[in-house]
Amino acid sequence: MNTEHAHLTCSACGQVAEHELRYAGRLLHSTRCAACGHVVRHEQRDLYSAYLRDLEQRLVTKPRRLARRAAQEPRSFVTGLPRAVLRQPVKLAGELWTLLRR
Amino acid sequence: MRQPARGTSRDRETARRGGVALVLLAAGNGSRVGREINKVFLPLAGRRVLTWSLDSTRRLRNLVSTVLVVQDHDLVHVREVLRREGDGRAVELVQGGSTRHESELHAMRSLAPRIHDGTIDVVVIHDAARPLAGPTLFTEVVDTAALLGGALPVLSKQGIVFSDGTNVDGQLMTVQTPQAFHARPLLEAYEQAAREGFVGSDTASCVERFSELRVHGVAGDASNIKITFPEDLFLAERLLERSGWRLR
Repeated sequence: MNTEHAHLTCSACGQVAEHELRYAGRLLHSTRCAACGHVVRHEQRDLYSAYLRDLEQRLVTKPRRLARRAAQEPRSFVTGLPRAVLRQPVKLAGELWTLLRR
Repeated sequence: MRQPARGTSRDRETARRGGVALVLLAAGNGSRVGREINKVFLPLAGRRVLTWSLDSTRRLRNLVSTVLVVQDHDLVHVREVLRREGDGRAVELVQGGSTRHESELHAMRSLAPRIHDGTIDVVVIHDAARPLAGPTLFTEVVDTAALLGGALPVLSKQGIVFSDGTNVDGQLMTVQTPQAFHARPLLEAYEQAAREGFVGSDTASCVERFSELRVHGVAGDASNIKITFPEDLFLAERLLERSGWRLR
């Protein structure tokens, strides 16, 4: 799972504080305020359906995105492709694990 | 501020002679500490908030310059984001100031030679933390500014009450970005403000104080949210999903 940190305004304590943001694939999974611990997250049912819709959209647009990347940076695209292909199952498993372990 | 502008789209097109410059404010106001990133670099539906903001300007006609205002410590990050997610256009990076106003001044000074030689006649300024402004709003604001001098999106705000519970009289409006203005008076206004030590809260406040430009309101968009609270990211994600991950 991807994790990022950024200053945002907490809706619970009102402070502009560091927040930890956790992502499942392209979707924001949850945020946590470092000042007060307030957590914001998707409802679980919403997250499943949103994730499936997002996954479908990613699959549909993948060829176009790959083609664009190949056109922009052909050399790094070719050299990085085997690793990227091998990484996909692990990446997908990680996303599913994030969704299921809540 | 004047109310919604009149004039046909043909009038607006005719009014524009020179080019348009885009100033995207991404400097934030905090210093970077350890693992924290500027919120404009946060992922949003597979891209960065900043990338969505740039994407909103893809249909602008006569766009001759794109200036991105960032802090020094974000330079490496922003170059990487533009390399991976940019649309191929040339983006000039300008160092941000300690306030939004100062960042705008730096951007205007970087554009000054092209404003003086007539290459740029409209400047549109946008907060990069508003990723969902969309091409339609950008076009409306820029075309209106080209015709009338200045334009910004306004949105009626209802249901505001004082702390004692009584209703606020009159019509309240909230102001959004993008905000666009004729370039030369805008540059002069910022230079005058710098000489007088004025620090405005947004671009329009400086224009209204130091220029003769009339700022006209165009209809804002409720979905043009500014990423401030964590909930805004969830909302932005949902809005993007509803629109098929395409800005309109």
